[in-house]
Amino acid sequence: MARTGNKNIQAKLVLLGDMGTGKTSLVLRFVTGKFLEYQESTIGAAFFTQVLSLNEATIKFDIWDTAGQERYHSLAPMYYRGAAAAVVVYDITSMESFVRAKKWVQELQRQANPTLIMFLAGNKADLEEKRKVGFEEGEQYAKENGLVFLETSAKTAQNVNELFYEIAKKLAKASPSRPTGIKLHSRSQQNSRRMFCCS
Amino acid sequence: MSSESRASSSGDEASEPYPNPIPKPPRINWPPSHWPRGYQEKRHVDEDDASLSWRKRKKHFFILSNSGKPIYSRHGDEHKLAGFSATLQAIISFVENGGDHVKLVRAGKHQVVFLVKGPIYLVCISCTEEPYESLRMQLELIYGQMLLILTKSVIRCFEKNPKFDMTPLLGGTDIVFSSLIHSFSWNPATFLHAVFCLAILMCKHKVISLNHLGHLNLSLQFACLDTYPMAFLYAYVHYLDADTYLMLLTTSSDAFYHLKDCRIRIEMVLLKSSVLSEIQRSMIDGGMRVEELPLDPLPLYFGSVRVFWSSHHQISSPRQQKRLYRAYQKLYASCMTEEMGPTKPSFEEMKTTFYYVGSPQDFELYAAFDPLADKALAIKTCNRVCQWVKDVENEIFLLGASPFSW
Repeated sequence: MARTGNKNIQAKLVLLGDMGTGKTSLVLRFVTGKFLEYQESTIGAAFFTQVLSLNEATIKFDIWDTAGQERYHSLAPMYYRGAAAAVVVYDITSMESFVRAKKWVQELQRQANPTLIMFLAGNKADLEEKRKVGFEEGEQYAKENGLVFLETSAKTAQNVNELFYEIAKKLAKASPSRPTGIKLHSRSQQNSRRMFCCS
Repeated sequence: MSSESRASSSGDEASEPYPNPIPKPPRINWPPSHWPRGYQEKRHVDEDDASLSWRKRKKHFFILSNSGKPIYSRHGDEHKLAGFSATLQAIISFVENGGDHVKLVRAGKHQVVFLVKGPIYLVCISCTEEPYESLRMQLELIYGQMLLILTKSVIRCFEKNPKFDMTPLLGGTDIVFSSLIHSFSWNPATFLHAVFCLAILMCKHKVISLNHLGHLNLSLQFACLDTYPMAFLYAYVHYLDADTYLMLLTTSSDAFYHLKDCRIRIEMVLLKSSVLSEIQRSMIDGGMRVEELPLDPLPLYFGSVRVFWSSHHQISSPRQQKRLYRAYQKLYASCMTEEMGPTKPSFEEMKTTFYYVGSPQDFELYAAFDPLADKALAIKTCNRVCQWVKDVENEIFLLGASPFSW
């Protein structure tokens, strides 16, 4: 059914962060609604798609869930190249993973697409008693670097859907300036109509 | 897989003689459920060389650098084993200083096997009575696995800095190594250098190779192959169902969406032609069985033809199965010591059971017989099986196929 006034946006989203921070668990919670206590390490990267419908737009996420181990680091540019949004994930029970997250943010600021929308997610928020990275610490760092910050838990689903909805909203807001949108409008009416008929 | 079946397969417990053959055995799923499926129980990380339990373990594997830094240990915490690693390194360099190479040290029931690969040292300490050749091959496989994960560029890192610490780069790969080590004892493919295929191969005449690698969903992996030192190879892996996956290989890093389209088309064909459901049925049924051979009821209890088929229905417990596998492994090592491969069928009497390996030409047959079986009859049986295999050779073997002809 044609939804007049509703945009269709396809967006590449990449998840980065240290190993064992829960990147795959976050994606699986979002895509399948499930959580596995023992999630195997990702090899290379995993790919998922998920569609989110907002009032203003329908967003089709192409999610690249990368492997966190150091040996895969050199592959990362392949995955964040051309990404519209990135989620840098750390584990609130590990200061090391927070330090690593900051390095990812720096790398993205240096090398990724300048219009990239960046989110910082402090995962495993259910493990309050083992917390090593304070909420304020994460929030402060995010504010300084212009990131959107959330604490999440793939296990309890806390803030997981919110995270992806926030990303979707930001993308929808940013999309009118995207060249793909303009291209469609610049085509002749007849031409674009024919394209819709065929699909 | 259930925790129960995992527990029964762990450790290298001493084997017991076979009980009398069971008249009507239950159908066992193939591959057996106690094979690892991507992951295994956690290692005993709290142990070190001072722990009694660590010392009692039947089989240890170590990877260390030529400066004595531990890289991997099957049991125990690598960091706590630094002193032990240094000792192993000292033994190797002591012998090397004398212009020689240490290969094997025997100490009572224990064998210590060494493999030196440039700056990487691999050591196995075992009291499982496996032949030296088998243990050495296992070390070679572990080294190959390590290269597959890290590529040969780690060797350069050691050349630049002998104190280079490799452990962080191997982060999260414990499972891969413990699965591999587990397969040394449990997967005939590993110790007989064979490939296990489903019975579906026989009826469909198609290549369908199935493996268990853990659940990757959809991903783009990369590997740097030994034979193509300067190239990267990307693999697109898609699980068609819980046990079956499709892997597409490319040298282009940008081919993901193209491969995805290809996969959708292939998947459609597989679904439409009901090949996928055929595979699923085969997985449930298991591989070929001895009963399916064109033989009269004969005292043949276990047969395994290298490359295509294996049956183990008379072996009821994992422990017996392991014992049989070890026997085949021994037989393989004794036949394969020369590079020529086996020249003539051999027949060995081991304690209570006969084992037979025969290689008429392009395949090998392994069979075990009841200790009371008549030797002449057993050989006759094996010859008949060989003849049958030759008759249907074109259907069951992939002749002339070269996987790397591209």
